[in-house]
Amino acid sequence: MRLLPIVRREYLERVRSRAFLIGTVLGPILMAAFTVLPSLLMAKQRGKPLRIAVLDEGGALRSVVESALATRQVDGRNRFEIRPAGAGAPEQVRERLKQAVLAGEIDGYLFLPRDALERSVAEYHGKNVSNVMDIGVLDRALDDAMIGLRLEEAGIGEARAKDVMRRVDLKTLQLSERGAREDRGASFFLSMMLLMTLYTTVAMWGAALMNGVIEEKANRVVEVVVSSISATELFAGKLLGIGAVGLTQFLVWSGFLLGLSLYGGVIAVMGGTKLPEIPVHVAVLFVVFFLLGYFLYGALYAAVGAAVNSQQEAQSLAFPVMMPLILGVMLFPMVLSSPDSALSVVCSFVPFWTPLLMFLRVTTLTPPAWQVALSIVLTLASVVFLNWAAARVYRVGILMYGKRATLPEILRWVGRA
Amino acid sequence: MNAALRLRDVTKSFSGHAAVRSLSFEVPRASVFGLLGPNGAGKTTTLRMVMNVFAPDSGTIEVLGGASDHAARDRIGYMPEERGLFPRMSLEEQLVFFAETKGSSRRLALERLPFWLERLDLDPKWRRRKLNELSKGMQQKAQFIATVLHDPELLILDEPLAGLDPVAASSMRDVLLELRRQGKTLVLSSHQMETVERLCDTIALVSRGEKLLDGPVSEVKRRHGRNTVVLAYEGDGAFLAGLPGVGSVSDFGRYVEIRLADGGDAQAILQAAAARLRISRFEIVEPSLHDIFVQHVKRHAAEAVA
Repeated sequence: MRLLPIVRREYLERVRSRAFLIGTVLGPILMAAFTVLPSLLMAKQRGKPLRIAVLDEGGALRSVVESALATRQVDGRNRFEIRPAGAGAPEQVRERLKQAVLAGEIDGYLFLPRDALERSVAEYHGKNVSNVMDIGVLDRALDDAMIGLRLEEAGIGEARAKDVMRRVDLKTLQLSERGAREDRGASFFLSMMLLMTLYTTVAMWGAALMNGVIEEKANRVVEVVVSSISATELFAGKLLGIGAVGLTQFLVWSGFLLGLSLYGGVIAVMGGTKLPEIPVHVAVLFVVFFLLGYFLYGALYAAVGAAVNSQQEAQSLAFPVMMPLILGVMLFPMVLSSPDSALSVVCSFVPFWTPLLMFLRVTTLTPPAWQVALSIVLTLASVVFLNWAAARVYRVGILMYGKRATLPEILRWVGRA
Repeated sequence: MNAALRLRDVTKSFSGHAAVRSLSFEVPRASVFGLLGPNGAGKTTTLRMVMNVFAPDSGTIEVLGGASDHAARDRIGYMPEERGLFPRMSLEEQLVFFAETKGSSRRLALERLPFWLERLDLDPKWRRRKLNELSKGMQQKAQFIATVLHDPELLILDEPLAGLDPVAASSMRDVLLELRRQGKTLVLSSHQMETVERLCDTIALVSRGEKLLDGPVSEVKRRHGRNTVVLAYEGDGAFLAGLPGVGSVSDFGRYVEIRLADGGDAQAILQAAAARLRISRFEIVEPSLHDIFVQHVKRHAAEAVA
């Protein structure tokens, strides 16, 4: 076996490349920037209270609503600053407030029609009405004020009313054999992040493998190599070499995450989100499913690369290879919302989807161990078969120049001795 | 002494088209063998089968006394017609890599490298450079080093001088002959007849996948007899083609080559020519390999059409 020089060549050439450096180092930095920066910016912007005037047609609600808004706090600070609406006929006041909003003197005004309490309606007029969080706070403050008024009418005192209206603090806890742990959306975020990483890396390294094969075929170096090493060994060496590059990338990223969890507390607090921790079994299965996915799709990508003469030609043949991967991604929401449904379970057993969907199920609710094990075995069997077939296509394809092979031709190569 | 390379009845076809038909030849050890033929004759296919890049449909190939297996291939250096190196790998890494794929250790390859760089006039400063930063000529040299760095006993070189400038080609010829003196066996394919005539001890001529003739160069030429007359003269020599005993006349401008018909007499032609022209040169010569090549290939092509 002469695998070692091949594996080493593939590995070193790629790890030393600029693309690897950019993808591995810059990737996480950009990702962090994209996830942390917006929440940082939002937190900063939230600091400035909204200047609001209350225009009450009836006049009975104003003081209650104003005090409800004035006392509403977010992150320990008052969220709203009450500005006087001014006196006069409602029509005139409205017009004045409108001008004030447009001139930027106030952020918006609340219009309470005469029958606001009876019909339980109100209007908020502002320049910016897409700040969902603030509108939510406003809505709740108004709710509390109105309900409080109705309770008072019903003869329930203010203190009692507050007690009655106390909100529920709903915590979500993820249950597993390892015990419950509190989860505030971090788990969902983590699932999606790991899944997208898995999808991206499998697709990326598979395509890298394909392009490498095409390139070596195009510059004819492959013939020199297969005159000393069998095509099957070359195939295996390339697959292993690039797989090792993928693992190296994960290693670097794990280092980043570790560093972030040690020194990143500051960032996390500023961003207002708790950093999710990755359980050991998830980390291990992540690597396992990456390898399964990479070897499964990588074999197909390599076969496509061997069957074509240029990257342009590869497009149409690479599409059927990408297809199951993309379909798998499209199934994410279905599996995420009901990871234990019959359909989800069945889909997660399809070898082409197992690396993505079974992993998704693992991150969301931890399916029975036998299901995970069985899916791994099934995928492994497919990996062995597909690599066997792809190696045969590769062996014939790398020395075929001229016109692009058709799919039936490629399938015939598999059968060729 | 057994042959370095022996082909017996080797046949290979690609999707119905016969690339090589029942080809047999032997290459003695420590000699230079030329596989000649026009484009599409099956030379490259033959060499690829020798390197076991793919297997023949039928027939046997014996390399260095055994099958063309891994162990045998480690003792061969192969330079394919389509040169190929890794464009983004440094010269040194690349050459060591190829030696390693032939079972040489890194250490040994690095030890031998300076000798070859010097022998082929490649400045050591290029060692760390990537291949795509090197000139075409330097890449050619690099390709040759990749072929010999593991010190093979048998070298298979597909068009070894193609693309080299006259100076580089001449120094490459020296290197090849030096390797032969060291006892290496060289198999080269070419359609540059001049190269072949100067380098090769034995040849085989193939056309359309079939062997037309083979044997030592001197014997091949002798077999074709001293049936060619070189004649240089002043005057109008148009009548020469009509003389009895003349097979054909090739006009080279400053002189003509007259191929004698069977039983043609060179002396009779000289007398007839001297009667009407001022003769400045008259010589009876062996045909050049070029002539033999052209003659056989043309005849073979005509037969194929008929």
